[in-house]
Amino acid sequence: MWQYILSRLMWIPFLLISVAFITFILGRFGPGDPIEIMMGTKYDPIVAERVRSEMGLDRPIISQFGSYLKNASQGDFGESLRYRGRSVSGLIGPKLIVSAKLSFVSLLISILIGLPLGFLIAHKQGTWIDPFIVTISVTFMSIPIMITIPALLWIGCLKTDLVPCSGWGGLFDRRIIIPALTMGIPGIAFMIRIMRASTLDVLGEDYIRTAKAKGLNFFTISNRHVLRNSMIPIVTILSFSLAGILGGAFITETILGIPGVGRFSVESIFNRDYPVIMAITLIGAVAFILANLVADISYSIIDPRIRYR
Amino acid sequence: MNLMKYFKPNKVFYIFVTTMLLISCSSESKSSDPFSSADELTKSSENKSSNIDNTSKNSSNKLNILYSDPPTLDPHIAQDSTSAGIILELYSGLVSLNTDLKIVPDLAESWTISEDGMQYIFKLRDNAKFHDGKKITANDFLWSFTRASSPSTVSITAEDYLGDIIGVRDVIKGDSEVISGIKVIDDLTLQINIDSPKAYFLAKLTYPVAFVLDKENLKEANWMDKPNGSGPFILDEYLIGEKLVLKRNLNWHKPPAKLEYVSMNLAGGSAMAMYENGEIDITGVGMADLERVLDPDNILNKDVVVAPFDFSQYYIGFNMEKPPFDDIFFRQALAYAINKELIASEVLSDLVKPAYGILPPGFPGYDEKIQGLQHSEILAKESLSKSKYSDISSLPRIILSVPGTGGSAGLDIEVILEMWKQTLGIEVEIQQVEWATFLQMLNKKDLQFFSGLGWIADYPDPENFLDINFHSKKSTNHNNYNNPKVDDLLESARIERDVQTRLDMYNQAEKIIVEESPWIPLWFPGDRYVLINQRVKNYKLTPMSVPKYSLVEIVE
Repeated sequence: MWQYILSRLMWIPFLLISVAFITFILGRFGPGDPIEIMMGTKYDPIVAERVRSEMGLDRPIISQFGSYLKNASQGDFGESLRYRGRSVSGLIGPKLIVSAKLSFVSLLISILIGLPLGFLIAHKQGTWIDPFIVTISVTFMSIPIMITIPALLWIGCLKTDLVPCSGWGGLFDRRIIIPALTMGIPGIAFMIRIMRASTLDVLGEDYIRTAKAKGLNFFTISNRHVLRNSMIPIVTILSFSLAGILGGAFITETILGIPGVGRFSVESIFNRDYPVIMAITLIGAVAFILANLVADISYSIIDPRIRYR
Repeated sequence: MNLMKYFKPNKVFYIFVTTMLLISCSSESKSSDPFSSADELTKSSENKSSNIDNTSKNSSNKLNILYSDPPTLDPHIAQDSTSAGIILELYSGLVSLNTDLKIVPDLAESWTISEDGMQYIFKLRDNAKFHDGKKITANDFLWSFTRASSPSTVSITAEDYLGDIIGVRDVIKGDSEVISGIKVIDDLTLQINIDSPKAYFLAKLTYPVAFVLDKENLKEANWMDKPNGSGPFILDEYLIGEKLVLKRNLNWHKPPAKLEYVSMNLAGGSAMAMYENGEIDITGVGMADLERVLDPDNILNKDVVVAPFDFSQYYIGFNMEKPPFDDIFFRQALAYAINKELIASEVLSDLVKPAYGILPPGFPGYDEKIQGLQHSEILAKESLSKSKYSDISSLPRIILSVPGTGGSAGLDIEVILEMWKQTLGIEVEIQQVEWATFLQMLNKKDLQFFSGLGWIADYPDPENFLDINFHSKKSTNHNNYNNPKVDDLLESARIERDVQTRLDMYNQAEKIIVEESPWIPLWFPGDRYVLINQRVKNYKLTPMSVPKYSLVEIVE
């Protein structure tokens, strides 16, 4: 087991370097240039050339990439090109926290509502409740957030004045409601579907029939046998959702004026703020790699039959 | 079609960009754009929900405004108006612009200019101090000018604004470490030599790159979090993306500001809703709210103030080296065919003033007698028939490029295209290009025909409008405009010392330019209507950024 984890961990640097390399190359060869954006319509090629060379942007790409890796490996992600004189980590840090708080609340909404409902309707297969809830959840899952957001704003802000239309005030502020619901609603439906399918699978297993035959009561069966086994696919999904926590929500954050990583990424891409884009990409990559690992490990904890060597 | 290989937006991209534009309205190309201010999320009145932390400073002597994160607080590298708006309050230089845009003494109490116009001697104020009380001497200025020009500072503006000083360009290039043209005569006397007599030199010194910084302060890590400036306000608190608070400087060389705090909300939100909610004291009025606010029965109506137009202009640019814009008659035909008055009143709710000349109203050298190419369908058709493209079926493909990703080029542009089609039968395609790519193509002079751009003056001198955009040797001349006579006029005006003669030269140049139409002037924009809370007195609306909060007073 430990050997397995170790070998997985050893792959991480290679993965990260590849991700970094691709992002770096795409940024430099794509159209647009940060110096041009800084200077806007007052662009002067002579000044731009000088600034580029002072910032090291005129060196060969491989050499730029090399020094980037060297600094990044020491935790120095450089300075933002847009917010001059500000370190990338100092800029991203607070925004990561904002995004993480928002994603956490929305994830909590999907889990707390989705999982019990999914578990419940699996037991109600064959009655009207099951297709009813499944239909509703599929409907919600198919609504793009470009519709959810205006709808929620219309209901919650314009018509009833329950919450402000946009902005951010932290975990315990009313302004979190709309974004958290926006991101949580598709999650609820998704959780219901996965949990239902997984529970149904387990309910059809022989060992459940055996448990019932032994005369175990419903709660013991549910708790010890059904729930535990049906959680396996959920764990994978949860791990990836956890990774998403750090990724931020591009659309939701941008529309609702939330100062998180998602909105900052969009802004940085438009400003060709390479160091910031690199850092956000790398953080996302690390989160996904770790989430993958956590998922694999948790399988073996939940299901003793799964063993890694 | 080669443009499209740069930019192939997919649906998702369009979606989030469209919505982003809805909310932020903050593209660099349109920093003061009246067209995009229709904030869809603006709530109608009675918004009770206030969660903005107003308790941080329990002072009622505080001005609350909505602002955006400044890209930098380092005056020597700042080059955008958002940063300048704060920097002008925190720091200062030898001279500054007052709210009437006249150059006034700041840290220098007086100056003399030599006979030949090439030597300036500044006398510093005896009581000029940094925020911490330390005296400001001529040496601090010498150090600051050197630091601004030093290659390691990577200033984008140093060359433009300080480059007239002898020796500055050598320092920028790294050939020298001292600016040969600046001498410290004594603690309070500074001598600056420039390379030729330039009437606009003093105006350039009002720009942040010429401001004084404290050498000791800059040795500290993260000095920008606690800058030891010399302006009327001190940086009290700054949380990126949340808020920035300015506190009055009691050590200022003039009587301290009456206002104790300026609190800037950086978190964003709907400005109108926040204004009505009492969270902010000042806001511009967008088209969506215009009718409501201008209604005399509306409670907001008493707060409305009419603002001057900005010192900027929106225009449609031609690349004069690309057909069909190599033909003067063809360009004129397009200009004549636009009914600007109609668009301004019907489409843009009179939030802009139609432009016929280049210099904005109120700008030095502005001449209202410049009629330009006024709307006339007859003249438009006549010009077209005189041009070598009179047979419009022989026209090359015409593609108008506009920056942005919102999916619409703007209603005004769409109406203009329709006018061309109806009057002249000319079909123009629109191509929207993402801002960064647009700039790249603009600078390479790859664009045939473009709009969505505005020129915003940095200092009130005609040179900053005419020379920089229309001199054939300037890299900012995106139109490939080249008229030796105009070049001559602009060059002589650079060094002419008699104010009136100089303005006359610019006037002549402007007339030629307007006639030859390398661009079609469209609008002078601005926050036409601004709401200012009754408790705020003496807040001056100016056509460009100047220090102004020290004059403001709060009367409850």
